[in-house]
Amino acid sequence: MPATGAAEPETEMARAETQSQSQLPPTAVGDGGPRAVAAGRRAKTIETRDVNLFYGDFHAVADVTMTVEPNKVTALIGSSGCGKTTFLRSLNRMHELTAGARVEGEITLDGQDVYARGVDPVAVRRLVGMVFQQPNPFPTMSIYDNVAAGLDLNVGRVKKAEKDEVVERSLRGAHLWEEVKDRLDRPGSGLSGGQQQRLCIARAIAVEPEVLLMDEPCSALDPVATLAIEDLIGELKSKYTIAIVTHNMQQASRASDITAFFNLEETGKPGRLIEIGPTEKIFTSPSQQATEDYVSGRFG
Amino acid sequence: MVATGVRVEYQEELDRLEESSLGGLDLVSAALSRTLEAIEHQDVELAQIVVADDDRIDGRYLEVHQALITLLATQSPVATDLRLISALLHVLKNVERMGDQCVNICKMIPLTGNEPPADEEMVKMILAMGGQTKALISQAKRAFADRDVELARDLVVQDDAVDDLNRECFRHALQIGDDADRREWAMTMLLAARAIERIGDNAVDIGEQVAFVVTGLFREFEDASHPSV
Repeated sequence: MPATGAAEPETEMARAETQSQSQLPPTAVGDGGPRAVAAGRRAKTIETRDVNLFYGDFHAVADVTMTVEPNKVTALIGSSGCGKTTFLRSLNRMHELTAGARVEGEITLDGQDVYARGVDPVAVRRLVGMVFQQPNPFPTMSIYDNVAAGLDLNVGRVKKAEKDEVVERSLRGAHLWEEVKDRLDRPGSGLSGGQQQRLCIARAIAVEPEVLLMDEPCSALDPVATLAIEDLIGELKSKYTIAIVTHNMQQASRASDITAFFNLEETGKPGRLIEIGPTEKIFTSPSQQATEDYVSGRFG
Repeated sequence: MVATGVRVEYQEELDRLEESSLGGLDLVSAALSRTLEAIEHQDVELAQIVVADDDRIDGRYLEVHQALITLLATQSPVATDLRLISALLHVLKNVERMGDQCVNICKMIPLTGNEPPADEEMVKMILAMGGQTKALISQAKRAFADRDVELARDLVVQDDAVDDLNRECFRHALQIGDDADRREWAMTMLLAARAIERIGDNAVDIGEQVAFVVTGLFREFEDASHPSV
């Protein structure tokens, strides 16, 4: 996904968020809201049942039934075009932002159907945040405003002192505070790629979501920045449920607790969930031959 | 949907290293044959050849071990490949230990002098143990190469015969008589029998690695510290 393309849905989301704030159904909103201090809390579970995803007539993903467990990192792996990113985007209702896109089946967040009639997709996206492949900070905004952006959009006016606290807590949570605390008023685009990605993570966690979805968050980063993000992911799972799409097998094996392997029989057919299980099992003794071939690098 | 041409060199290298590791069992089998011959004929020179030739087994260990570590570092093997490499590292260690047991026996042979063996009966038992152990080594190799868990499990049964012969040797040695030279010879042969028995145990250990490669679960076939019978 190119950088500009990646930035688009989020800014679109942000715009939508300001417009539809009043429509938030109370049931879909987190208990504590952004001001609640979260430490080692139990995050929410995502369950999908017979999920089928379409782009117009094209059937992209078929019959996915799986659970994204709370306070764990679930890695979605599979070759390009197998539908893992599409599936990820369906979890916070971003799939439907694409023209002609359609979702069948059931996706629940702690038992609540996120696609039920009357549920505001923007409320879902606040609870289920997303970090993209290319770091996409708002380029003209300062580091401070980048982090506070989600807060402004979701909560409305917040006192400066309170905002300071959330910005610091989020930047600390994203392991970025020490590096940027003396230049919070500088543009976010001036940071390195790894720092920008951590800034995006800080922005995502500022609104204290329940779930963090990450779509190849390290693919544009060097190995050191990648390991920093992986360490961060390892810490964030104590507060959030995390699902991460990655093409990096080593990353999946290092950073995740659960691994889900997606595959498609042939080009043009929908992607399917082939196997899901503890990461150590997927990488030492998977039960499906297709999984074995993929993780061993013998896949075409 | 396995693509041909993907990671071919890696696969070939892994195949080659498995062949080299299992080939170590042929080296051990040859060393054991010579060791038995040296026992049978009290052949000190042949025993010295076995000791010197162990460098080949050790060399095989070092060479293949290093190559396996390189594969781990450079190819990030997972799943069956990872289990195979882990198992081959064990097999190499077993092969190296088996070779050392042959060396242990052969180093003792000069100690019993240049006289013919003192007791034909005990030599026969040890040769029978050795023959049975060679069969175990060959069976372990076949079980590994064929990924045959049943054949691997059968090693325990076959190894029981070696253990029985070892105990018989012990009983026989107790009754060897009062002659000091004969007693000393018998003690040395008991150590040899014990070394052969350990070679058999190493063959069983290789069988356990076969089960690990195939099933992904490591279980001792028999727990020496908690025997079921």
